[in-house]
Formats: sequence, C-alpha cells, structure tokens
Amino acid sequence: MADDDILGADPAIRVSSGGPNRSGGRELLSAAHEAASETAVAEVGSTGVPALEPLVLATADGESAFFSRCPPERVGSIVETLEAGELPTEGVMAVVKHEPGTSRLPRPANGPLSVGTRTVLGTCGWAVPTSPEDYPADGFIASEIGDSNEAIAQVAEAKLRGRGRGDAAADVPIADRWELAREAAGEAAIVINANEADRRATTDRVLLESAPLAVLDGALAAGRALDATNILVYCNEADELAQERAAEAAAVLEDELEEGISIEVLAGPDEYKAGEATMAIEALEGNHRLEARLRPPYPSEEGLHGRPTLVHTPRTLVQVGEILADGDSSSSEGSSATGTRLFSVASEGDVSGDDETSAPTTVELAAEEDLATAREAIEFDGHLKAACVGGVFGGLTRTLDVPARANALRAAGLGTNGVIELFGEEECMVAFAGNRAVFGEEENCGRCVPCREGTQQLTNLLREVYHGEYESEGIRELLRVMDTTSICSFGRDASRPTRTAIEAFETEFRAHANGRCPAGVCK
Amino acid sequence: MSSKSNTSDPIWEHTEESEEQRSRLEEMIAPGTASDPNVESEENATVTIDGRSITLEAGATLLDGLEQMNTEGYVPALCSYDHEEKIGPRSECRTCMVETDEHGVVPSCSFPAEEGMTVHTDADAAAEARDVNLDLLLGNHNLRCTTCGKNGRCELQNVSIENGVEEPRYGVFDDREEYEPIDDSSAFIQIDRNKCILCNRCVEACNDVQVAGVLRMEGSGSDTRIGFQNTEETMMESTCVSCGHCVTVCPTGALVEQGLVDSSTIPLPGFTHKNSIGKIAGEDYTGQARTMTPMIQDQYTENEPVVEVVNRRAGTGTDTHQEADD
Ligand code: SF4
Ligand code: SF4
Ligand code: SF4
Ligand code: FES
Repeated sequence: MADDDILGADPAIRVSSGGPNRSGGRELLSAAHEAASETAVAEVGSTGVPALEPLVLATADGESAFFSRCPPERVGSIVETLEAGELPTEGVMAVVKHEPGTSRLPRPANGPLSVGTRTVLGTCGWAVPTSPEDYPADGFIASEIGDSNEAIAQVAEAKLRGRGRGDAAADVPIADRWELAREAAGEAAIVINANEADRRATTDRVLLESAPLAVLDGALAAGRALDATNILVYCNEADELAQERAAEAAAVLEDELEEGISIEVLAGPDEYKAGEATMAIEALEGNHRLEARLRPPYPSEEGLHGRPTLVHTPRTLVQVGEILADGDSSSSEGSSATGTRLFSVASEGDVSGDDETSAPTTVELAAEEDLATAREAIEFDGHLKAACVGGVFGGLTRTLDVPARANALRAAGLGTNGVIELFGEEECMVAFAGNRAVFGEEENCGRCVPCREGTQQLTNLLREVYHGEYESEGIRELLRVMDTTSICSFGRDASRPTRTAIEAFETEFRAHANGRCPAGVCK
Repeated sequence: MSSKSNTSDPIWEHTEESEEQRSRLEEMIAPGTASDPNVESEENATVTIDGRSITLEAGATLLDGLEQMNTEGYVPALCSYDHEEKIGPRSECRTCMVETDEHGVVPSCSFPAEEGMTVHTDADAAAEARDVNLDLLLGNHNLRCTTCGKNGRCELQNVSIENGVEEPRYGVFDDREEYEPIDDSSAFIQIDRNKCILCNRCVEACNDVQVAGVLRMEGSGSDTRIGFQNTEETMMESTCVSCGHCVTVCPTGALVEQGLVDSSTIPLPGFTHKNSIGKIAGEDYTGQARTMTPMIQDQYTENEPVVEVVNRRAGTGTDTHQEADD
C-alpha cells in the first residue's frame, strides 16, 4: 500500500525509484521504515533519472540531501543522523536548500536534475504519487471544469498539440479534435494511451508512475469538458508499476471527486504497433489481432465502439492540466503557451531498457530551448557524430541546435516521439538505417502495402548497398510513397530513419557500396 | 459495413435464421480485422475531378466519382470492391491515390467525398504512389500467369497491363524456397497464398455477407495471411460450407474453383498450376467426399482479446460498449 503523504513532513525520508529499479527502491524503503521512529518515510516515484536511482532524499529544515544509488546498509545511518537533528552529508550527491514544505523537487545545481526545466516533472520524485494531500495545493482541476466551451477555448488558445505517436492528435492542435468529438453523436470516451513498447521512449511511463494524479486529472478535466462517460487507461503489460499507480490514482479520484466518469485500467501487448492510436482502440475493444483503422473519420468522431473518442498520451494530458489550471490568466504570452516537451535521452547502446543503469534520462525542455540542452543530462564524452530524434523511427541529425517544438522538429525531418539518442563516431549510419528498416518489416500490422511491402523492399534495397548497389533515387522514391500513402503513423514514420540517414550521411552509403564501412563496423 | 441490405444473401437464409440468430453469429465471428469507421460521405457533394465537376450522392467516396469519368491519370484502385456489397473499402493496396487541394494525396476508395473538393489524378505525387504501390504488390506476387487458373480474368493482371507495368521495380516473388504450399485439400476451392494480395474481400464475403465465419486475416508483417477462424491449417479442416462466395470476389488466382484451376492456363506439356510451385498441402484429401461441417465451432482457441483488465471500478459511468447513436 502506498504511503499517505510526505509534503510538509519534517524531518522526512523519501525513496525515489521506478520502472526497472523499483525492487532496489523497495529494499531501501523497508530499511528506512525500520530505522525511523519520528521521521516520516515515503516511497515516491522516479525523478525521471534512473541513473541516480534508487535515490534517497533526506529532508530537514528546508534542506535536502540527495543520496544517489544509495546502498541499503547506508539507509540506517542516514535516518539516524537525521533523527539526531542533523542533515546527513557523508557520501552525498548534493545538498539543496529550499523552501520548507515545497511541493516540487528541489533541484541540485549540477547533474541531470539541473538540466532543462521541471514543470510537469516538478512533483516527480518528490510527492507521493497517489496521495491527494500531496497533489498541488489548488486541488483537482477536473472539479473546476464547469463550462465546456470555456475549457475548449482555453486549450484552443494555448494551441496545444498532441504529444507523442500514441496521441491521435500528434503534432496537431488538440482543440480541433475536441470540437469534432463534441459535435459527434454518442457519449464521449477518453483513452489515456500509455502503451509505449519502444524502450527508448519512457516519458509517458515516468509520468504515469510518478504523477498519475496529474495525468488522470487532466483526462477527467477533458472528460468533463466533453461530457464523457468513460476513461480508459491503456498501459503496456510490462509496465506493472504504471498500471498499479494508475489504478490507485483512479480509486483516489473517484473517491475525492465522486465523479460520474468511470475509470478503467487495462494492459495491452508489449508490441510497438499496439501503441498506435487506432490499434489501441482495437485492443480496448477486445480484438485478438491488431491492425490500424482507416482515417478520416478520426477516433474523435468515431472511435471506441463507434463513440467519439479522444486518444491522448499522458504527456498531452498533463499539458492540458497545466493550461486549465492557469485558467483565467489568459494573458499567457504567445509561444511559451505551447508548453514544454519531454524527452528520454540516452546514448546508443544504452537503450536496452532492462538494465537499470542504462534506462534513458528524462529531460523537460521549454519550447524555446534547443535539444542541445538535453545532451548535458547524460554522460556522453567524445564527438557527437549524430543524434536520432524521435525513437525507433526517429530522424538523424548532425546538430542538436533545433528548438523543442513540434513544427521545428518536423521541419528538421526529425520525429516527435520525445526521444534523443546520441551516437559517437563508432556508429555506422547504414547499419542504423538497416536495423530500423528490419524493425519496421517485422513489427508492422500487415494491413497496407506501402508499409508491409515497403519496409520489406526497403530492407532489400539497403541490403543491396552492401552488395555494391546504392540506388539513391529508387530508395528515396520508395520512402516518399511510404510516407504519403501508409494508413497509419507506423508506415509513415518507418521511412524517416533511412531518409534522414541518406540526407545527412550519403557518403557513408556510397562508401558501403564500394565495400568500405567508414565507421569500421560492417564487415 | 455500409449498406445493410441483404440482397446478396441466398433466400433460404432468411427462412432459417432470425435476425437475433444472425446477430449472435456476428458476435462470434472473429475475422481479425479492424472495425473501420464509416468512410462514406454524409451528404451530397459536388467535387471537381481533373477540372470537371460532378455531384455525388450521400454515401460516396472519391472513387465513386472517378469511376464515372475518364480520368487523366489511370487509377487502378485494385483492392476496391463495390461497397454496396458489404465488402470494403479495405483500402490496403494504395493504388487509388489521388491528389486533392484540401488534404494532399489521399486514397480515393476510402476518402469521403466532401463538398467542394478538387481532385487531380495526374499529379506527380499521386501517380508515383500508384505506380510504386502496384509494383510493391507485384514484388510479393508469384507472377506465373501462364499456369494460373485466373489467367485472363485476373484483376491484378488487368491493372498491371493497363498501368503499363513492364518490369516491376522490385522484381516479382520468385523464390521457390519461400513459397507457401498450395492448399489443395478442399474438393471445391484451391488456395494459393503466393498470389494473394491481402485485399480481405474473401474474409468479408465469408463473414459479413455469408456470415459463415470461416476465413480470417491472421499474422502480421510479412507473415500476414488468410487463415481459418477455427485455427486449422487447411480448407478441408476449416468450417467452410463451400458456398463459393470468397472465390467470386477474389481478384487474383489466390482462390480458384477446383474445376477451373487449370482451365485458363496456357497448355505447356507437363506444366500445371500445382507443379508451378511444387509444394502442395492436403493432397491426400483430393477426391474424398466432402462433408458439410458445422458453420461455427463452439470454441476458438486463439481469439482471446490482447488486452487485459487491470482494474475496473464500477463508477457511475456507463459501460464502454454502447451504440453511438442511442
Ligand atoms: S502503416 Fe503499417 S502498421 Fe500502419 S496500417 Fe499500414 S501496415 Fe499496418
Ligand atoms: S466458400 Fe467457404 S470460405 Fe469461401 S465464403 Fe463460402 S464458407 Fe467462406
Ligand atoms: S485470397 Fe483473394 S480475396 Fe482473399 S485476400 Fe487474398 S487476394 Fe483478396
Ligand atoms: S483501392 Fe484504394 S487502397 Fe486499394
């Protein structure tokens, strides 16, 4: 069972962990509970930086000490020192002064937690994820939603675009889809799409684990604005902690708000395609096999069982919450109103995801910040040869001087699924393209020709490069057709890795056709 | 999925089956395909196609407009079928792409005709898309027309000729090692999946029109194939009632009546459809008397939902499963 609440407690011990390193966190937690007599102890979610976790935070008198990757045997002495009236500092990663009782994680001056901004991440790793007492003081946003016109107008004015590939309104203004949903016949449903099988892309999982109330509150607010009757939280079967937190948060919200909207938590397959917005709906409807649906009409008009359905990611919904919480302060200045974006950052080779030390680091960037900022959040020595932005079907770029906005990312040919992978000199760009094409060939749903057959022929054409034939025009033509004619984002996105690899590194393709791998990787 | 008219059903179905029974059957049917939204227009719409204006009645897609005129560019629209017939649009082949001023390049067979749309069939991007997608289909097709039972009455062959295909960009599927065996087990219908373009017409004919619930789409990626809902491997072991509807709608030589398997092939001594591939499943059955099998089996083994309920609170909301219009 989750701890009650921790904000305002003094002295306090927090144990922050999530996803892959939660079992380590539980161990520290029971050690802390055992040692503590007058210190409040609570389990909190991940800060988004698994490299530091399990992380123990010792707080007293407006000061917090950070113990990263804390060994279990150290916990006893940390608690002891704290209870003796002193802030423990031996082996500490950082000590940060802050306002006593602050509702947001105090940020060290250095290291990954100092990078970018922490707005939607603010409570992650600090508040007890499912505690209503720890939820920001002004209370639940959903309870404030009265007039649907007003809520939709606020979201429209903020020009909020859907975040991530699992959002049915990815990169387009979500208010347009809300309008369609409101006009469509039938009672609306809201799907929170948190099923991301790409282990490079962890931002939605982090939000659901560490700030599930914010995610569900955003969804409930949307639900009220649209008179929805159901919210379905669609998780990945492998993300057990996210499922658990979502279920607890749902119970809390139903008790607190006596809401007329029912909330269900469901677990879909750990497959990349299952995260596509319409395949999410297919899964939720109980199909035994997944394939994408045609569009238009979009799910917002005809979705779950034919009902108007909003499919949004946790990332989108926390932004909805931010906008609606700001409410009347309609003076919100232009561009920053588009909100922050979350990125999972890792260097290549690190993204297996099962290994706790290598899970990606979450970074939040304001719209005017460049992706380059995110680089500081992880250890990456040496020359940056390229970055892949957008996840498994992201785009390659030689420069990270690209603003963290959907249209800027798109204009640079990059993906918007919130992932930055850093590649050093030893990475071969032809092998990169080949691997991503094979992934597309193996994982697609099989419905449409440009994707099903296109990924297969793309793989063949890339194989031919190794046999001395690099057909630049033929490959580009195929990529164009995959991009313009695939039914869903899977096939469109699957064209991106090769297209951007050719744009930025064509000499490597020519070199391979001449039997040479410049990175010295391919035989 | 569009019109609910039962005009294509045999007369006896209505006497033997009440609506209630029929809907119970529909619920048990698991074709493995997505439930698409209704892509037909809601109102009459006047659209401009290649500079000429045409008014289409409600219930139309752009393709309905294209079919009524001589378009500038040839639009194969291979996988489309008369949508009045409860079949399609599956919209998988993407050889019906056209350019629109409003929405860019779109599949005409599944795009609602909207008032005022302007369509160009000969735009470069659309023509390129149609050509490439047709070649992609041929790239995974066993193009041995001379030994095919549909030679001369094959829609894929027709559109390829009409589209001026001479040498498909990606070659043709010609790797004997990887051929799927021909399913020759049924006395009535032969299946050659090496010729299947996955248009899904047969599945819809079998499920939505006949409500026989035999065929389904299975697998994913390059393993996507036509299979049987009772999870058996051959037509003989399936629950097929041999109505033949699937064969009628199949655009290629993937489904052929046994009597016609070699009817339209060019006679080459010793060269037949079967030995063109060299792998045959279910030969033992040939000649066996065909017994009728029950239409629907009580139990399917692989049709479990992919999603699992973690937590469902009663709440005060309604069940998610409700009709949109009630
Ligand atoms: S683009 Fe790929 S994943 Fe999407 S419908 Fe087509 S085959 Fe399926
Ligand atoms: S012949 Fe068999 S498989 Fe074909 S439509 Fe009829 S019942 Fe279905
Ligand atoms: S067997 Fe024929 S009708 Fe069925 S999907 Fe294949 S090509 Fe289409
Ligand atoms: S005819 Fe439109 S996609 Fe096949």
